Amino acid sequence: MAHSETSNKNKTITLTIDGKEVQVLTGTTILEAAKKLGINIPTLCYLEKISTTGACRVCAVNVEGVARPMTACNTPVKEGIKVTTRSPELEQIRKKTMELMLVNHPLDCPVCDAGGECDLQDTCYSLGVAKQEYSADLERLPIRYDWSLLESDPNRCILCEKCVKVCREITGFGAIETKYCGDRAIIDTLTGKPLDCDFCGNCIAACPTGTLISKPFKYMGRPWTFEVKNGICGFCSSGCQIEYHLKDGKVARVTSDDSTYNNGNLCINGRFGYSAFNSPERLMVPQVRSVDGVLKEASWDAALSAVVSATNGITAKYGAKAVAGVASPRITNEENYLFSKLIKEAIGSPNIDSEARLGYVQAQEIQAKMIGMTGATKQMDALEDAGCIIVVGSDLKTESAGFAYRVIKAVTKRDAKLVIASAQPTSIDKFANSALRYKPGSEGFVAVGLAKAAISQNKAVTAAGLDGFNQALAAVSFDQIQVATGLTESAFNDAVSFINGQVAVIYGYEFIRSADAVAAVTGALNLAILTDADIYPMDEKNNTQGMLDMGAVPGDGGKDLFGIIDGIEKGDIRCLYVAGCDLLQIMPNRSRVAAALQKLECLVVLDLFPTATAKMANILLPAAAAPEKAGSFTTTDNRTQKFTAAANPPGESRPDYVIMGDLYARITGGAIPSLTAIQQEVTPVVKNRVEKAALTFVIPQAHAAGTMTLLVAPLQRHNGTYTSWSSNNLKVSAEATICIGAVDASKMGMSDGDKVTVTANGASITLPVTLQRELPSGLVVLPNHFPASSASQLMAKASASLTVTISKA
Amino acid sequence: MAQVVFSTWGGSVVDNRNISGEPAAVSFRLPVAFDGQQPLKAFMGWDGIIVFDKAVDIPAMAAEYMLRVQTQFCCGKCTPGKKGTKVLSDLLQRVLRGEAKPSDLDQVADLNALLQNCKCTLCPTSTKPVLDAVKHFLSDFEAYCTGGRTAKSDKYLEKVTAPCMDRCPAHIDIPKYIEQIKNYQYTEALATIRENMPLAAVCGRVCPHPCEAACRRKNVDDSVNIMVLKRTASDYEWMHKIEPPVNNAKMKDKTVAIVGAGPAGLAAGYYLALQGYRSTIYEALPEGFGGGMVAVGIPAYRMPRHILQRDIDIIQSMGVDIVYDCRVGKDISLPELKQKHAAVFLAPGAHRSKPMGVEGEDKGYKGFLPGGIDFLREAYMGRPTGMGKKVCVVGGGNTAIDCVRVALREGAEESVLLYRRSRKEMPADVWEVDGADEEGVKFEFQVLPTKIIVDQNEQVTGVECVRMAMGEPDASGRRRPEPVAGSEFIVECDTVIPAIGQDADLSFIPPDMGIDISKWNTVITKYIPLKDAAGKSLNDSMGNPLSRTLITDCDGVFAGGDAEIGPLTVVACVGNAHRAANVIARYLDEGKAYLTDQEIFEDLLTYLGVYDKNESVAWLDSADRAGQKEVHGKARASKGNYCEVELGFSDSTAQSEADRCLRCYRMAMVAL
Repeated sequence: MAHSETSNKNKTITLTIDGKEVQVLTGTTILEAAKKLGINIPTLCYLEKISTTGACRVCAVNVEGVARPMTACNTPVKEGIKVTTRSPELEQIRKKTMELMLVNHPLDCPVCDAGGECDLQDTCYSLGVAKQEYSADLERLPIRYDWSLLESDPNRCILCEKCVKVCREITGFGAIETKYCGDRAIIDTLTGKPLDCDFCGNCIAACPTGTLISKPFKYMGRPWTFEVKNGICGFCSSGCQIEYHLKDGKVARVTSDDSTYNNGNLCINGRFGYSAFNSPERLMVPQVRSVDGVLKEASWDAALSAVVSATNGITAKYGAKAVAGVASPRITNEENYLFSKLIKEAIGSPNIDSEARLGYVQAQEIQAKMIGMTGATKQMDALEDAGCIIVVGSDLKTESAGFAYRVIKAVTKRDAKLVIASAQPTSIDKFANSALRYKPGSEGFVAVGLAKAAISQNKAVTAAGLDGFNQALAAVSFDQIQVATGLTESAFNDAVSFINGQVAVIYGYEFIRSADAVAAVTGALNLAILTDADIYPMDEKNNTQGMLDMGAVPGDGGKDLFGIIDGIEKGDIRCLYVAGCDLLQIMPNRSRVAAALQKLECLVVLDLFPTATAKMANILLPAAAAPEKAGSFTTTDNRTQKFTAAANPPGESRPDYVIMGDLYARITGGAIPSLTAIQQEVTPVVKNRVEKAALTFVIPQAHAAGTMTLLVAPLQRHNGTYTSWSSNNLKVSAEATICIGAVDASKMGMSDGDKVTVTANGASITLPVTLQRELPSGLVVLPNHFPASSASQLMAKASASLTVTISKA
Repeated sequence: MAQVVFSTWGGSVVDNRNISGEPAAVSFRLPVAFDGQQPLKAFMGWDGIIVFDKAVDIPAMAAEYMLRVQTQFCCGKCTPGKKGTKVLSDLLQRVLRGEAKPSDLDQVADLNALLQNCKCTLCPTSTKPVLDAVKHFLSDFEAYCTGGRTAKSDKYLEKVTAPCMDRCPAHIDIPKYIEQIKNYQYTEALATIRENMPLAAVCGRVCPHPCEAACRRKNVDDSVNIMVLKRTASDYEWMHKIEPPVNNAKMKDKTVAIVGAGPAGLAAGYYLALQGYRSTIYEALPEGFGGGMVAVGIPAYRMPRHILQRDIDIIQSMGVDIVYDCRVGKDISLPELKQKHAAVFLAPGAHRSKPMGVEGEDKGYKGFLPGGIDFLREAYMGRPTGMGKKVCVVGGGNTAIDCVRVALREGAEESVLLYRRSRKEMPADVWEVDGADEEGVKFEFQVLPTKIIVDQNEQVTGVECVRMAMGEPDASGRRRPEPVAGSEFIVECDTVIPAIGQDADLSFIPPDMGIDISKWNTVITKYIPLKDAAGKSLNDSMGNPLSRTLITDCDGVFAGGDAEIGPLTVVACVGNAHRAANVIARYLDEGKAYLTDQEIFEDLLTYLGVYDKNESVAWLDSADRAGQKEVHGKARASKGNYCEVELGFSDSTAQSEADRCLRCYRMAMVAL
């Protein structure tokens, strides 16, 4: 009955297992202690990364003095206990338990997808379960064929609950639950309706049997017939370590082991996005635009010669600066390095930039100025030790699910507090202690509001320049902040009240692409400096940070991305190399950009797919995707991870570094640089945070907002434009829709699927609507993944939010 | 007198089936008739079987018992439970159909042994009566196997319980919400709690948690910290700004008047609203002071006001109106309420301090305060309490402890508690007494105040006390404290607060309404006439009839809470009011006030006893009970400091504490 505080968790405990002594910390389970001794106890429902379940009962062990077997997986150790893991009695219990588990288990192992990688098979085999004493009436349960991407056969289920717990504890979704009673208990969706979740498939990976299987993988082959190669996921910037399962050089599925940095956790893109690589629309053969204006297939030699002669012709006539290059956050560090070298050195033009110019570059320039380094100040696993995580302007699961998983773990299992500020609801709001919903465009004011509150509530440290900063802050009142953001002083005070321990500030898309991006990003960094926080910038794509680290930015006097378009319009730039970037899709003022590209004498595009930009190319070079080449990616938290080629590039497509190396050799007249040579040439980037970073005040700008704001943003179930070529992703998110809140929808008399016309900057697009109940009134959201949506034609600036008018179509 | 024909309950076998002489005398805490009318023929449960009627078909009953366990209650979340009960149930059904061989019955013992490795308690305990049945009624089973019998079907009722949820007067499904917390489902856990407890934040803080005294984990090491886990679930909601659930019930036309916005009134309003009945609570205190005894009797350092108010706001949002500043009997009469509403629920609480019986207490001396509860109320409402600098509180209950601790916070330089027995005999909760100790309260144990000492201005200057010692055992064998002659002494003080108990002020009930009032000043309500084998009426632990419909003798008027039970606890009032709300809803729907079989069964199980403190529970005692964080030091009781002293669990501590729960569900079934 003592009402005292919890006991010390760092005490060492000595116990004996099978006669061997072992020392472990308080709270360690018998299973973990046994593992330390190298003693193997059979388990089925145990999964290290989730809370213990104790469902299968196979790990029963004896503890001296306890009159019943205890389950090793969920029984903490105690000082001096003597544990026996093997005895005839225990073998008997385990065998009989397995026999019970097999009562009415279907005998469809020959056609079960898990056959060959089934924990149930393996456990029965190792325990020698060869007979069946028990029987019961057979009742077959319906198989869920009506789910997307996953299929569930409850008859094969042993109810270990791993899937339920992975879904709830790791991904934070909680889509599935154990339902019904007794032998009819099954895993089903909460509503009983078809699965409607993140579709990360982590449940499939956790399933020890063939209950939850991947539909795209079903009947693709027996597990042991695939070649398995390691890789680094090429979608978002979480940099997950994955395994490609290959058949005939093609990726047949993607998995990840729990021993990886990402604990085996993936998102929909990582697990299912591979179908983009296998898309029949992949570019297979080089193409050169003929005199009649049609792209025609050509040999590599002919295509590359065409590039070189066009380039040489233009540089001879207009000088090297008439050439420009657009690098790619999708390609490897080595490729970006080589591309940069090709443009800057071989051709001799300083005009190179990338889509990061839409926001991430400027954010990193501000970071470099203020704290002395780009990217995150710590690796993402440090989030798990944070006392308070402040996420501004990012839906983490959408931008970089790996970060979201870390945050979920920190707040649910390690008692971190979570503050989120965003314009649209985020997928992890339910874990937040404070979720501030601001008006898009007011990000700069949000940052000032948080800083002011942190100082007034004594949550700030004495940072350099605090006095001046304070004075500057005083010029912005909470009344002004409220007008701009829609948030009250007390809401900010409440948010900062959760600041404790090590703080982490994560800032993402809405801040980086804010209409007031400089104030927003500076403000986020000020907040981090004030709270002595670790800093994490977010980006949706896999190698944005690496691309910048490799120097794919304008050289001296070089033009940036916008300058390049201007330069084309002015006739200063005549030749453009684009590596893996659909400029028409991602840049504002689509029609203007299209006109500019049209004006080019030579447009060289390296890509996987026939994007709108690719279709305008004079020379179109088919490139290899992430699994098809070697290299390295650098995540936003500055982890550089090398990988080797796993799959074969389809058709005649080649890795970008091969294409670029060839061009480099042809233009310079030198040898083709090998990948190894490039890797040796690249000097590793060393980054250090300055010790006493100074606060920098930037006055936030008020943005006249209309009655309706459109936010063009990444949405879940896709990553960039890449996955819009992935049939798997398209199965669960097929097309661009306008997301509208319940209030606005009812005001406009709209329901799901109705079409609306959105107009801005003299352009209109018409799309169906999706009701998203929690979306605030006055805000509609359009995903930026789908080429067909043409969101870029509405946008006049890089900022993600814009004032629009919206009407029923 | 009902005869026990056969029993394995309680660890010993009584077999009176085939005896010639005097049958073995044995009795159980069960009524002879389930609801006062239908004879209770047999009982099956976690501890075995009890047969009162020889004609009961035991194989059929055992098969039905197992079938209900497997298809209705087994969670399916462990292999032996899910599959073992299925195999066992199907086996028994095959027996009944005459499709089994006698040798198949051998598997019952084997499965029983295997089921002992289940994750929780429901399935392993369910095999006990089945095994007993097969063992002692083997020939009946074999008769089925040889095709010689057809099943005779009795009426069966079943009820699932657990020691903790049985002992909880509100019958919260404790194992369920603890499992949800273990699974990080705080919102779901709170929803589970709210099914039986709308004041989750309150009972997560100030409940005397009788459940923990019936926690089977106590038989291993120490009980699960059930109360603080409840607080965790409740606090999670507001700490994450989660919108509380809304009431989706279709609201009906009839309305109910409720007297008093205390735990009983609020709970009744909440559960009536969930069943579609709007209610209006008439509360004597002004707005902002709802909550009854929780508000005015429990200081804010134990029950922060904004959290209490949040629970009240949620209850109101369900469809409950509260009219403040309206004392029934003064501002509106009870007959008026009865006329305005289709039913009336009386829950005025027990707010009247009892006199001490000390010389001078009725003289109106300055510094002699009317009572502990009045002192707490005035302090809470920010009104002058009449307290001076040196305060003596008389009593040993939680109210007395609250008074000495509040006195410090109101600025008393010295706060003294006078109690006539020893510290360990105090009815107050141990942790409350320890808390007062830590804050600097002085204690005088085994003293009896005899006289209030005043000066010429009739200002209190002290209390004359006499020391007490344990006397000789009386006729009942109990030793009572007796004054020690010549031990008189004076405790100097300027304020005396008697806090020896409260009762209800029922003066608002007109004598001509036909509402009976007991000699303990409680409202008498109707009950089910349950009698044991000896013909004795079954009473609950407060001495009230065990199963009450809570309707008074005046049609349409119901009563509950402290004014019906006698002064007890928040949780008891909530449980009682929940029952009342159910009965009132039935009364409004059907014109009859009655209890359901499940409600009666619930009471019977409580009477029978579900927790066995002598049970040997085999489990490794390797996870210590977690205690909540607490503010320490005298400063926590400094003047004006009503900040909460106990700080709850971190989520990770709650999760691991929840993992200590043994999930002691079990099923009982009766044949009628």
